[in-house]
Amino acid sequence: MSSHAVRRIILLGLMVVIVIMITLVNPVFLSTGNIMKLFQEASQTGIVAVGFTLVMITGGIDMSIGAVIAVTSMVCVNFLSYTHLPVWVFVPISLLVGVLTGLFNGWFITRFRLPEFIVTLASKSILTGTALVIAVKDSMGFVQNVYIQNEAYLWFGGQSFGLVYRATFAFLILGVATQLFMKMTRSGTNIFASGANPQAASLSGINTSKTVIGVYMFSGLCASIAAVFISSRMMTAMHELGIGSEMDVIAAVVLGGTSFSGGFGDIWGTMLGAFFMALIKNVILKMGISPWVQPIVIGGIIVITVIVDVSQKKLADKLATKAKLRKLTAESGQAAA
Amino acid sequence: MKIKSLSTDIRLLLVLLPLMAALALLSPRFLTLDNLTNVVWSVCLIGILASGAIYPRITGGIDLSLGSMAALTGIIVDMFMNRFGMHWMIAILLTIAIGALIGLFNGFIVAKIKVPAFVVTMAAKTYLYGVGLVVSQGAMLAILKPKPFIAIGTGRFLGLPIPIYIMFVLASTSQFILKKTAFGRKVMAVGANEVAAKLSGVDPDRIRLASYTISGVTSAIGGVVLASLTQQVFAAAASGIELEVMTALVIGGTSPVGGRGSVVGAIIGAIMVAFIINGLNLLNIPAPFHPIVTGVVIIVALLLNEGYLSPKKGSLGSAR
Amino acid sequence: MEINGENGAILLECRGVSKSYAGPLVLDKVDFSIRKGEVHSLVGENGAGKSTLIKVITGVTNRDSGEIVFDGTPIPIEHSRKASQDLGIAVIYQELSLIPGMTVAQNIFLTKEPLLGHTRLIDVRKMNKMAQALIDKYQFPLKAAEPIDRISIAQRQLVEILKALSSNASLMIMDEPTSSLTKTEVEMLFSIIHTLKAEGISVLYISHRMEEVYALSDRVTVLRDGKLVSVLEKEQISPAEIIRLMIGHKLEETALHHHLVSKNGKVVLDVEGLTSVGKFADITFQLHEGEVLGIGGLVGSGRTELVRALYGIDSFDAGLVKYLGRPFVPSVRRSIELGIGFIPEERRLQGILATQSITRNIGIANLDKLAPIGVVNGKTERQYSEKGIRLLNVKPPNPEHLAGNLSGGNQQKVVLAKWLVRDLKLIFIDEPTVGIDIGAKEEIYEHIKKLAGQGVSVILVSSDLPELTRLSDRVLVLRKGKIFHEFKECVLTGEMILRVASGIVEEAYEN
Repeated sequence: MSSHAVRRIILLGLMVVIVIMITLVNPVFLSTGNIMKLFQEASQTGIVAVGFTLVMITGGIDMSIGAVIAVTSMVCVNFLSYTHLPVWVFVPISLLVGVLTGLFNGWFITRFRLPEFIVTLASKSILTGTALVIAVKDSMGFVQNVYIQNEAYLWFGGQSFGLVYRATFAFLILGVATQLFMKMTRSGTNIFASGANPQAASLSGINTSKTVIGVYMFSGLCASIAAVFISSRMMTAMHELGIGSEMDVIAAVVLGGTSFSGGFGDIWGTMLGAFFMALIKNVILKMGISPWVQPIVIGGIIVITVIVDVSQKKLADKLATKAKLRKLTAESGQAAA
Repeated sequence: MKIKSLSTDIRLLLVLLPLMAALALLSPRFLTLDNLTNVVWSVCLIGILASGAIYPRITGGIDLSLGSMAALTGIIVDMFMNRFGMHWMIAILLTIAIGALIGLFNGFIVAKIKVPAFVVTMAAKTYLYGVGLVVSQGAMLAILKPKPFIAIGTGRFLGLPIPIYIMFVLASTSQFILKKTAFGRKVMAVGANEVAAKLSGVDPDRIRLASYTISGVTSAIGGVVLASLTQQVFAAAASGIELEVMTALVIGGTSPVGGRGSVVGAIIGAIMVAFIINGLNLLNIPAPFHPIVTGVVIIVALLLNEGYLSPKKGSLGSAR
Repeated sequence: MEINGENGAILLECRGVSKSYAGPLVLDKVDFSIRKGEVHSLVGENGAGKSTLIKVITGVTNRDSGEIVFDGTPIPIEHSRKASQDLGIAVIYQELSLIPGMTVAQNIFLTKEPLLGHTRLIDVRKMNKMAQALIDKYQFPLKAAEPIDRISIAQRQLVEILKALSSNASLMIMDEPTSSLTKTEVEMLFSIIHTLKAEGISVLYISHRMEEVYALSDRVTVLRDGKLVSVLEKEQISPAEIIRLMIGHKLEETALHHHLVSKNGKVVLDVEGLTSVGKFADITFQLHEGEVLGIGGLVGSGRTELVRALYGIDSFDAGLVKYLGRPFVPSVRRSIELGIGFIPEERRLQGILATQSITRNIGIANLDKLAPIGVVNGKTERQYSEKGIRLLNVKPPNPEHLAGNLSGGNQQKVVLAKWLVRDLKLIFIDEPTVGIDIGAKEEIYEHIKKLAGQGVSVILVSSDLPELTRLSDRVLVLRKGKIFHEFKECVLTGEMILRVASGIVEEAYEN
């Protein structure tokens, strides 16, 4: 059984255990309303995490996703406040924020071989400022909290079939589609290859630069999509929306088994990771534990997961080398005889 | 392959001076002693942090927990003094020791367990922030006493704010260590070519452990100074300062590929950025535009710093 | 069935190909041809030009002049890797060309995966079936759906071969393919090569192992010093003859009849039964004061691994080491403290700090002298640097010059300098003059001789046979990790070393 599958089972098992335990303490937990809210929470992080997973598969990282969410929601708010453009027109336009950011990031990273981390931090900085610049302000120049009343826009934050949030649908569809794309198309395979062994990939004819740029554009797009759902659900949008959400996303992706070194990644794992993080956060809240513990948990989960991953890989390598050596000695022993 | 020679510091000054001239032309208020002092003062925290953060960077890693560390140590020193009633000097020393321990912890995971530095310190940034929240109970605490402690941040000596002296001392000490001690040589060697350094008797793991510990120490000192200076502590203090420190280091010529770096360069770099922001302020360009300009400056600095031609995929600024 | 490509049709033809890397000619008007369906071996010493010829053919680098025609298509001077692949030239690597985390089938069909109907989706079942069909056709011990992370190096080579076959390669280039293979795997590779031949695919085989060349080749091309020496037809091929042609009768050959003189002074290093599983076994020898002990052997025979273990970089599994009479557990730190130095095999990757000055490079191994209390004494540092530059005649003699900008020879001098300024008793030197110009080579040889004359013991690993014979007082030849033969107190030629390293033992060598 593949290591990814093992990992998913462990995550799932842990989640089941946690759910059981929390329900014993707090039966309200298992109510449909709560579960659906949980799923919605997970979806908000999850949509971004799906795109982020692809970036990590290529061995990179995108710190600008939070800022993309902020700017995208600001753009939507602006459209809502100052224009009469219908939702189905301006929402796709707002998605361009993420796509163009991704293009920017990807281009600088590949064309000049600049470190992914700092480049995306730089674009985060630029976007953070932009969000504030384009934020809707009142006559005195102070940022105004815009309450969204446009029904068409609020549709995104609502529920279908009575209970399931549309964001959840979007998340599931996106996740499945992306997993299918990654595992079953040539482009998906090329992304894996570009991350696992860029030289070999390029030797086989893959344009790794184009692949990497595309991946960053997708990551930005996912962040923008999430922004629409988030701001719609909250019925408001502030210019800080999403800033700092990177850690949540990273935790989800890392839990899911995607490694920072690239070449390996599992969308199912990321999705489970998103649910897991939402569950943990919800449990902390329901158990009355101070919300201040949350960052400790998120940071702790990330560092522990990565330590476990690295150690497990080292162990696996050591065992493999030992096995190889045993085989070699056996052979040379035979040859001598 | 032509490698840039090591006179980056001089080169930086050659950029800084015309920049100052341009700013002086654009705004008459620029060259006043008051304004200049303010600018250098604003750079103090970055300078203090950069003095230590340069070590992990040169060895090929990075320390992203600077901001959270500074915030947390501020909260801790306040707690020691005002909740536990410790003498302020002891409180500061203890806090710095804690900073060193946290740095050591990070360094251990990076050096011995071999987890990529940026993940370790980024996660640390998050959970240390949480610890800060817990210890401070989410509140913003005002520090009103003891007086000597507050004097550190707000006092002046010979007309200049004390934090400037602190930065000066730390920066020069750090520069001295880096350029003139065996340890500094080893740090640069590990950054330049870890294998060659190892063959020459250097222990890269130990150097890395020390590097992150040093960064922890300066973060703690920065936290103490910040707490004293602003007379308040809260968990989100200095949030995002990592980017400013990294920018300063990049402009200053620190490169994780090639083991080059200069604290002086970083300070000059920080001053340059501060001047640019100052210029924007003097020209009445609204605040939201500042991070935009900073972001552009970083990209430009990266492009100019040829040292970043890392062929490794997923280089993350070589945080491995 | 066609054997030996008797139909004679030429697949690849090189005429008058020359190449230099800003300096001496690495390839000097080389003529080279491969027939369709033949196994053609390319042999020559290190530096003879083999790898450059391959690089020129595969487009990794471009030739300066000459013509290359592949299957009727002339190849322009601006050749590229992609272009050579498209033409049907495939190179079999061991690790570099496969994607970890993917299966055998995925690797074989990368970018060419079969699709489901008119969709963009990969037909995984069809891909696996096609891969398995290919595997079964050649009877490779592979499974289409197996992840390549779990298979051995030999199996990975097979995947590479299949990958090449599926892109209709007509020429397979194999560069030292057997260095990490077990005996059974080597046999499997041989039978595969025969199968390829039967399909009309040509194989260009590069190897140092004479028995392989002898067993496989239809023809053998021998290069020496960048020039074509000879092309042997099947009947003419014999290991001894190949070696003779490889070494040749150079003018300096007379000086290479080196009289090995024993040095029987104090025992500096006493090694007993040193074993490191998978690398070397039962290494036993003694090193005397002022002695230069040469270690010869083919690539992969364990020479570098041995000196790395002795210096303390890698650990070993069994055996005893005594240094200056006392038991010694090698560690880099201790070695340096006790007066042992090490010059690594790869100058650029392991030897120098490219972005730092000569002074820093020399200083890094001498911090105990330069900074006894932690602070570096600038004056002493400068003195050491100048001393090193002077001793080794580094050019340009500027202590602040960046090591990375020095020529290869001068870089190696700097590496040597950092040890020479110390009180050395023993130094390990691994391939000291690869890619270095003649002048610098001679200078380095002088220094090694001087060192020995001053009582410093030297363990010299080298694939450069004249170098080995000239400098050594004794030569140990390693083969497959064991000491195969010791040359002492006799007249030694490079040819003798190579024959022994290749496994050809003659009674005359028995001491």
